[in-house]
Parts: sequence; structure tokens; C-alpha cells
Amino acid sequence: MTDLCFENVSITYRTSSSRGDVVAVSEVSLDLPAGATLGIAGESGSGKTTLIMSALRLLPKSARLDGRVLLGGKDLSQLNFGQIRAVRWSQASIVFQGALHSLNPVREVGWQIIEALTHHAKDIWTSPEKRKARMLELLEEVDLDIAKASAFPHELSGGQKQRIMIAMALACEPDIIIADEPTTALDVIVQKQILSGLAALVDERGISLLMISHDLAVLSSVCADLAIMRDGRLVEYGSSDQVCMQPREDYTKQLAGAFPQIGDPESRLNPRTLRPAEVARTQPFTMSDEVVLEAKDLSVSFDTRRGRERAVRGVDLSLRRAEILSVVGQSGSGKTTLARALLGLQKVDPGSQLAFQGKALPRKAKALRAFRRQVQMILQDPAGSLNPKRSVYEAVVEGLRVQGIRDAEYARVLGALEAAELTPAEDYLESIPQELSGGQRQRVVIAGALALDPQVLIADEPVASLDASVRGEILSLFLALKHNLGMSALIITHDLGLAWNIADTVAVMKEGEIVEYGEVDSVLENPQHAYTQELLAAVPRLGSQSLVRND
Amino acid sequence: MSTSSHSDPRPGGPADPGPASDPANPATASDPANPGPGTGTTGSGTASAMGSNGSADIDEPPKGGSFAGYFLRKLGGAATSMVLVIVLGFFAFRMLPGDPVLKIAKERPMSPAQIAELRSQYGLDKPVIVQFWDYLVGIVTGDLGESYVYRKTVSSLIVEYLGPTLLLTGTAAVIAIGMGLWLGQLSAWRRNSLFDRLASSTSLIFWSVPTFWLGLILLMVFGGTLQWLPTGGMITPGLDPWSAAGIIDVIKHLILPVISLVAVVYAQFLMIMRASLIEEMSEDYLTTARAKGLTEDEVRRRHAVPNALLPTVTVVFLHIGGLIAGAVTVEAVFSWPGLGKLTFEAIRGPDLPLLQGTFVVFSAIIIVMNLAADLVYRFLDPRVRRA
Amino acid sequence: MSANTPAEAAPGSPDRDPRDGGAAIDGAKLVRERRLNNAKRNWALFRSDAPAVVGALVLLFFVVIALAAPLIAPATMLDVTQQLEAPRYAPPSLDHPLGTDGLGRELWVRILWGARVSILVGVAATVMSMVIGTIMGLAAGHFSGLFGGIIMRIIDFFIVLPSLLLAIVLSSVLERGVFTIVIAIGLTSWASTARIVRSQTLSVESRLYIERARILGAGHRHILFRHLLPAVMPLVLANTTLTVGGAIIAESTLSFLGLGDTSKESWGTILKNSMDVSAATSGYWWYVLTPGIAILLVVLAFTMVGRALEAIINPALRSR
Repeated sequence: MTDLCFENVSITYRTSSSRGDVVAVSEVSLDLPAGATLGIAGESGSGKTTLIMSALRLLPKSARLDGRVLLGGKDLSQLNFGQIRAVRWSQASIVFQGALHSLNPVREVGWQIIEALTHHAKDIWTSPEKRKARMLELLEEVDLDIAKASAFPHELSGGQKQRIMIAMALACEPDIIIADEPTTALDVIVQKQILSGLAALVDERGISLLMISHDLAVLSSVCADLAIMRDGRLVEYGSSDQVCMQPREDYTKQLAGAFPQIGDPESRLNPRTLRPAEVARTQPFTMSDEVVLEAKDLSVSFDTRRGRERAVRGVDLSLRRAEILSVVGQSGSGKTTLARALLGLQKVDPGSQLAFQGKALPRKAKALRAFRRQVQMILQDPAGSLNPKRSVYEAVVEGLRVQGIRDAEYARVLGALEAAELTPAEDYLESIPQELSGGQRQRVVIAGALALDPQVLIADEPVASLDASVRGEILSLFLALKHNLGMSALIITHDLGLAWNIADTVAVMKEGEIVEYGEVDSVLENPQHAYTQELLAAVPRLGSQSLVRND
Repeated sequence: MSTSSHSDPRPGGPADPGPASDPANPATASDPANPGPGTGTTGSGTASAMGSNGSADIDEPPKGGSFAGYFLRKLGGAATSMVLVIVLGFFAFRMLPGDPVLKIAKERPMSPAQIAELRSQYGLDKPVIVQFWDYLVGIVTGDLGESYVYRKTVSSLIVEYLGPTLLLTGTAAVIAIGMGLWLGQLSAWRRNSLFDRLASSTSLIFWSVPTFWLGLILLMVFGGTLQWLPTGGMITPGLDPWSAAGIIDVIKHLILPVISLVAVVYAQFLMIMRASLIEEMSEDYLTTARAKGLTEDEVRRRHAVPNALLPTVTVVFLHIGGLIAGAVTVEAVFSWPGLGKLTFEAIRGPDLPLLQGTFVVFSAIIIVMNLAADLVYRFLDPRVRRA
Repeated sequence: MSANTPAEAAPGSPDRDPRDGGAAIDGAKLVRERRLNNAKRNWALFRSDAPAVVGALVLLFFVVIALAAPLIAPATMLDVTQQLEAPRYAPPSLDHPLGTDGLGRELWVRILWGARVSILVGVAATVMSMVIGTIMGLAAGHFSGLFGGIIMRIIDFFIVLPSLLLAIVLSSVLERGVFTIVIAIGLTSWASTARIVRSQTLSVESRLYIERARILGAGHRHILFRHLLPAVMPLVLANTTLTVGGAIIAESTLSFLGLGDTSKESWGTILKNSMDVSAATSGYWWYVLTPGIAILLVVLAFTMVGRALEAIINPALRSR
């Protein structure tokens, strides 16, 4: 058995730009004894990927490594290229993010697994027939139909591609498996299958597992030990339970706060953040009975190659003043289409009824434009939602100009930015998006919507693309907007914890239909529909290697 | 014309029909109960470790469209282009300002009676619709009118001159594609090496030169000064083209015009292939391949190049038209008895019926080649099979 | 710092807070600094690209001599009736730096005057082709449905058919002249630009900020002119520089085929004259070489500058 050891590792990238050398990892020491499971958590830019790439000497030429990386006691930097190639995959293999481009798009996936076997025959898979048999055996181990061996990556779903990556990693019976964000971009239910499968396979064979992710809950549900990285440094290192349940550092506390325990009264309507938004009103608005936006029997269909498909099927929803309604579902459940239909951005099927303040939604372009003033939408990714060439002022004022609102433009922009708590607003007016952090960008997008004084905000995964430490801030802003301005919000998410954190009501969507709809407390604490129960069970919990122990 | 292949969209890329809807696909269930041939020692115990409940994967992308549908779509596109060419071929010569007959009359002395005769000979005294109908009927029946200069039917001239052009452009295309792609991928893989710098700067220079000028220089050096190679025609008069000596003679005649055609076009292909492979070199699947323990050479040959070839092939096929058009000047320089020379003579005439004929036939060749390229492409790229 | 703040930074709103003035001035300063820094950074990038700097100098040289041609070499030097005493086909020497042609004219004078037409045609045809290409590309990328589909087919048609073939047809049926050549090249060479603009438009169109503009209530006009056009403009500008080279080559090809204006000097016309007297096989090497080298230099210079501009707007290309 082999162990992996990082001894005081620092990694620096030489760049030709004026920034000079960039330190990606500094003075990290970590130990992965044979058979252990270690998770490294960190946000984008924390250096975690750079660190694991050094474990197989896969860093680009521009990277300089100080310190030592020991694999089975051998210093990797002392090996020649041939020896390194022999070590790769046979002693340590990597499960890359299969959902992205880690598989060659023009080769059959079976071919790609066999390729690894060909290079590390190990006296077992010496003939093409034996290699093929081994490949099919691997597909079965990761629970894939063997017919998929001749599929190309684009013919597989994200989960299936990830299974292929795992099968490929297991192929040459390595001692160590390194998993790089193995479940990012997968739905919770698929994520649970992949994680518990990976954990079981690794456990049975006594393979040690090094896993990196931005998701603390994912790591802690599989790994016994956890390390937290930030800006290339190790912030905290200990057993999973200890790091998650009794974090010492503020930063770790923020990360952990992004994963509320559903059912925990302390986090109900109270997202954990170091910077909560201010509720100024002495008598904050609360959910009323006045219906603002209503949908009855709403259906949306698309023409696809397979004929007409209904993405949204007979949905009934009503949003009241100062209500936060959360629509929860996996990708492909039709929730984004539902949001676009509510805004009049998507043509709905005949028979669907949409009403705003009791009146049917207009069809004509001009009336629709006026309607958009009342109902605004926040899109998923704040970085993409802002034109990189426009300043904050231009981004916020865009809606006013489009709507033909000319009076008090400057005051409105400033007011909106302040309502979105980007203060002091004047300092940000001429910044461009690249100069802002993810959270600040999302505040600008929200301010752009607020500038129009809308009654309703529809938000599509408003925190999914933000770092975990910013999540609480933005959620608490939604709560404050409701309390201060009496605004209603419909928030689309895959994250049940988000609903628990801020929503009054929740609607669970599956394949275009709403399967359960009601008050958050009753639905999440006492789910009736089997799908809701399945979703709740799949949410990774902080700490205690829940996925390993359940199985 | 441009080397900016980086901004070409990937074929079959962002073509998703509707936002986020991919309802249950009942077709293929990943069935854990399937026994299969795998009877390895570890297999049985963990067969359902991934626990997907045996249900169909709802996110699995749909199966690809049929070949017939793809073929019909491409055929429809080519047919539309052909119709546009035919319509353009008519109206450009009849409707544009400047009466073609007056234009001919301007370049050579003619009496009014001669002009009138010419008019009726070309059918210019009939209404436009009737002329257009006659023209369409003519194209279908292979009658493209009579050449003013050669005093022969245009179609017989085209049949006579078509072969040499196909020989010349076909040879040049094969060499240019092979050389351009091969050098391009080497150049990209050894980026910034001496080889890369030499290859890139040579191609930039060739790219900045008119094809015919290169032909003139070759003619001057090898034909004029050194007298190594023949300077004009396709074969020495009197030789039988099917005898061994005749074939060698034709090859000798081919060398200079082929070099001129290849030089300019291979440079474009080299730059396209190079840019495409460089773009591919930062892709994640190459890291996977390296992590698997492949040598750099294997990574390039087995993974990077097959992927980089795909976007390149589309762009390269688009440039084939340019290569064929280059034949016009090169054939003029080397007196190669092909359609290009015929076009050149038609311009000098001016012989508008002949020019119209060569335009339609040249365009048809290019459209057919593009159609063939589209069909070949479908077999090269598994992703297009789905689109 | 100017006291008058630009309207963009401080829109004239009547109910402004007194401290707004100060903040707005700071904002304007920020904007100016940002633009200045951008310009400085781009200039530094351009300067660090030696071939591009040489290219720019070559272009400057040719533009200056083209503009100053009447001053350096009066038009009478091209008049054959004035050259009756001059030697015919004189090879380059101290008296005749680039040699003379069959009518005794100095080649350097012809090259000088030819630069005027060749560069003018190249630039004018490119501008025309850019305008058409940008409009068609934007329309094809932005509009979906039947309209976008039709535009797409038209673009496809012009991509498949080589522009030279179409330009030959156009210029042989129109009146001979410089303007005809410009039209013939401009009308037929826009498709590659349209294709590049279209793919850039499609990529911008899929960004969320376009969807956001729609949510805010924006129509086609706002999206086309406020978001899409500014996003494709840098690309179009870099592409322009690259296309000028192609247009100059196209001009020389058309003139060589005898479709140019024979009454005006251009580099293509000189090459045609040399071909007419079989200069290549008769040993008048200077007659063939000099106009071609002039074309090579100018086209290469445009290409170098264009590639540098392209690399500045698209950092991913810098490694090329």
C-alpha cells in the first residue's frame, strides 16, 4: 500500500504579465496514509486543484514546486519521466470532473478505459480480450449498462460520465484515488449515488481517497479527515466532525453556515452570515393574504426532435405580498421554464392562466414592457448577467432607460444600490464588473432590478454560483427586502437548505409538475410525497461521514 | 481569407432546443441485474455499489437523428445554392447596368446592323421572362449557348477543358491539405520552437502573395532561367497522354502550376490547423490522458490531433472553393488548357456566354465538393451524428 | 481634472444631493483612468510585438509615398509620349533604380502611383465588406426564425462560392473603373466577416446580460446597438486590418485578368503589363519582381498589424 505525503509544499506560477509570480499554494503539509480518506475544501482560487495536480506531477511547465511530494516514500521530483508515467494511474489515479471535458469527445468511452489498461498491463490484462473483459467488468462495478462502452461522451448524462471517470480511475487497481470535484454540477440524488458508490468501492479495496470540493457537506459525508484551504494556505485541518461541528476559524464557520441542517430551528429564516442585512422598519412586512402573481393550469411545451414535449405541466401557484416562495427541483424539472413563463418571456400553452394583481398578463410588447417594471428577475450567474464593458452605474440605470424613466435617474440608482446594501454606493458607481467580487456583482444585479421599484422579484438560483461564504449575505438581503419593502419573491433553487433559510412556502417540482406545495415548516419537516422524501434524504449532511456509514 | 478560425463555432455545439427540459427517456435503462460477461473476482460483490435503483437516467441525452435527415438537409442546402447560382448567372449578365452587347461593341468596331444581329443571336430582343425560361431550359438540356470567340457551343468547350482543371486542382488540393494539416499540427505542438517560427513565418509570407505572381516567379526561375521544366500547356504536342512518356510529360507540366496553387493555400491550412490544435491543447481531457501515463507523443496523436482536426476540416473544405478559383490565374499564367484558361479567354473576349458557362460550372463543382465534405464530416465527428 | 463632469457620470438630476457632485467627479476620474490604463496596456502590448511595429512602419511609409506621389514624381513621368528618349527594359541601375518597362517608364514611378490605387481600393473595398458583413452577421446571430434562417443561407452561399469568381462576373459586366473594382470586391468578400461576427454575436447572445436586458424590458434595438454591436466592434476592427491584405491581392488579381481600369496605375496593372510582354520568360525579372514585392510588403504589414490587434482583443490568442 502506498501513502501520499505533502511536505511543506509551495507552488508558484511564473507569469509573463506585470503581476510577476503568482503563489498558488504556500507551505502546505498534509498526510494521506494508506487506506485513509481526506477531503480538501476551498473556494475557487484556493489552490486546492494545483495542490493535487502536484501529486502526479501534472503541473504545467510554468509552475515551480518547493517542498516535497512523497508517493510511497519516493520523492516525485527525483523520478525521471518514464518512472513518473509508470506511477501515474497504476499507483494513483484521478477522478476528474466528468461532467466537463475530461473525457475525449471523439473517442468511445470504453476505448478510453482500455487505453489506461494498455499502458499499465500489470501482467494481468495482457491481451485485448482480457482488457475488454476487464473494461466491461469495471462498467458493471460502477453500475453502468455494458452497452455504454461504445457510447461517446456526449451521448451520456453528467452522472453517467462521472461513473465512467470512476471506472477509469479504478481500472489499474491503484492504491490512491484523487477525486476532483466529483459531483459538482450533478443533482443531489445523482450526487448521493455517485458519492456513496465511490465511498463503498474505495472502502472495500482499502484504497485511500483524496477528494477536493468547494462543498464542505459533500466532503464531510465521505471523508474522515478534512482540510480547509484559502488563498493557497491551510486554514484548518482535523477530523471531519471536529472541523464541521466545532470549527475554530471564522472562515470555516462561514463555509459550514452554507449548509443549514433542515429542521434546525436556529437556521430557520436566519441564514448564517457575518454580515446580515439590516431590517430598518420597526414593523417589518410579513406574508399577507393579498395575491400578487398567480398561475393556474400553467403549461409550457417545446418542439423538439422527439416531438412536442411539455416542460411545465398544469402548474398552479400563487405568490402573495411579502411572501418568499421557493420552487425546488433538480435540473430538467422545468423550474427555470416556469420562471420565464411567469415573466412572459416564454410562450405558454393555450388554457394556461397567468395573472398579475388580478389582471391577465398582457401579450403586446408595449404592455409587457410595463409589466416587466413590476416583476423583475435575477439570473443565476451574476458574472454573466453584467456586461463586462459597462460600469455599475450603467448596469443599474439600464432598466430605467429601457423603461423610459427619466426623472431623478441618479437618485434612483443610488437608492437602488443602497437598498441592495452596496454601500457607500458612490464608491462603486464607476467600477466595472471585473473589479467586483461575486457577492458585490449579485448586489449590482439586484440593484438593477430594484431601481424599477418592482412588486415581485423572481430569482433563479441566486446563490448557486457564489462562493459559500457569500451565500448567507445574499440570502439575508432577500429577507431584508421582504421585511423592509414588502417585496414578494419567487426563488428557484435545487437547494432545500435555501428554502429552509428564507422561504415562507415551498413548491417541489418534478418533471414539470408540482408534486408538493405548502408551508416550509410542514413540507420539509413532514414531507408527504415520496419525491420530497427522496430529495431530503439525498441532501448531504455536515460531518460524520453520513454516506459511508449509512451504506 | 482569414486565419481567425478561433471564432468558428464548434459544429454541433450550442444547439440545444429548449431551456432545461429533458423529460424521461424511456429508451435505455442502466440495468444492474444484467449479468454480462464480467466474472472477475471483485465484480459480483459490488455490482450495485452505485445504487442507481435501476431506473432510466432522465438526463441522458437523446439519440441522434437519422442519416437520411442529415443528408436531405445538406442536399437541400446545396440545391438552394445551385438555384441561387443559376439565377445569379442569368441576372448578373442581363440585368446589371451596361448592356453586354454594347459592351462588346465598345471593345471592337461594329456596325449597328451587326449589333442588332448579335442581339437577336443572344436572344436579347425577347422579354426577360422568356429569356430566363430559355436559359433554364438550356441549362437542363445542357445547352449553354455559343461562344463568341471559339465559335463552338459552350458546353462542348467545357467538356473539353474540364478534365485538365480537375487534374490540376485535385492534385493541388490533396497536397495542400496533407501538407497544411501535417505541418500545422507539428507547428502547434512545438509552439515557439525554431520549426514553428519558420513554418509560421513562411506561411504568412505565402499567404501575403497573389497566386499568379508566385506562378510568374516560378515560371521565370524554373522555366525561363534554369529551363528545367516546361513553361506552358499540359503535354508536349505529339505525345500520347496514355503512354509512359506521356504521363511523365504531363507530370512535368503539372509541377509548376501545382506548386503555385499549393503554396498559397497550404499556408492557410497550416495556420488554421495550428490555431485549432493550440486551442485544443488546454482542454481537460488531455490532462486525463497525461494522468493515465501516456507519453506526450501519444497524447498528441491519439487525443489532441483527432479533436483539432474536426473544426479544421470544416474550415479547410470552405477554402477549397478559393483553391479552385485560384486555377483561373494559374492556368492563365501556365497556359494550362482548363476551365480557368477558358475563363481567362472569356474575360479577354469579352465572351459573355462562355463566361456565364464557366461561372455556372465552376460554382457547381464547388457546391458538389462542399456537399461531399459535409457528408464525410458526419462520419468523422460523432457529435454531428447527433445534431 | 475638468470641472465639468461628463453627462455619463453625473446625469443632470434636479434633486441631487450636494455631495453627489464630488462623488460624480471621482467617478469620472475613475473612468478616465480606466480608459487611459486600458489604452496604455494595449499600446504596451502592441509595442512588445516587434513584427507588428515593423508592419505599422511599413504601412506608414507606403501611405506617405502614395499621398506624396504627385510631389515626388510628377504625372508627366508616366506619360509615354514624354519617355521617347528613355531606354526600354533597362535593368535596375543607379540611373534607373527599379528598372524601366517596355515604354521607357521608370518602374519606381509606376510603383509609387500604383500604391495610390492599390491601397485605396484595398481599404475602400474592405470598409464596404466590413459594413455588409457586420450587418449580416449581427442579423443572422440575433434574429431567430425565418428571417435569421434566410440571412444564414445567404451567408452560407457567399462563403461556399469563392469571392474571386463572383468578383470576376461582377467586374466583367459593369463599366471598367476603380469604383467597379471596389464594388466587385466589397460585394463579394464580406461572407467571412459575417461568419465571424455571427459566431461572436451568438456567443454574446447566450450571455445572461442579454437575457437580463430583455427582463428589464429591452427591445431589439436596445440589444443590438447597446450590447451586441459594441461587443463585436473590436473583432470587426481587427478583422478589417486582416481583410485589407486580402482585398489588395484581389485587386491585383482582377487587374491581372484585365478587369481593372487600364488608364490608372495599380500594382496589378503593372503585373498584367509584364505578363502581356512575357516578361517572366524574356528575362525582364525586375518587371515581375518589383510590383509583387510591393504587394507582399503591404499585405504582410497589414497582416502583422491585424494579428497584433486580434491578440490584444482576444488574450487567448496571445500565445500564438
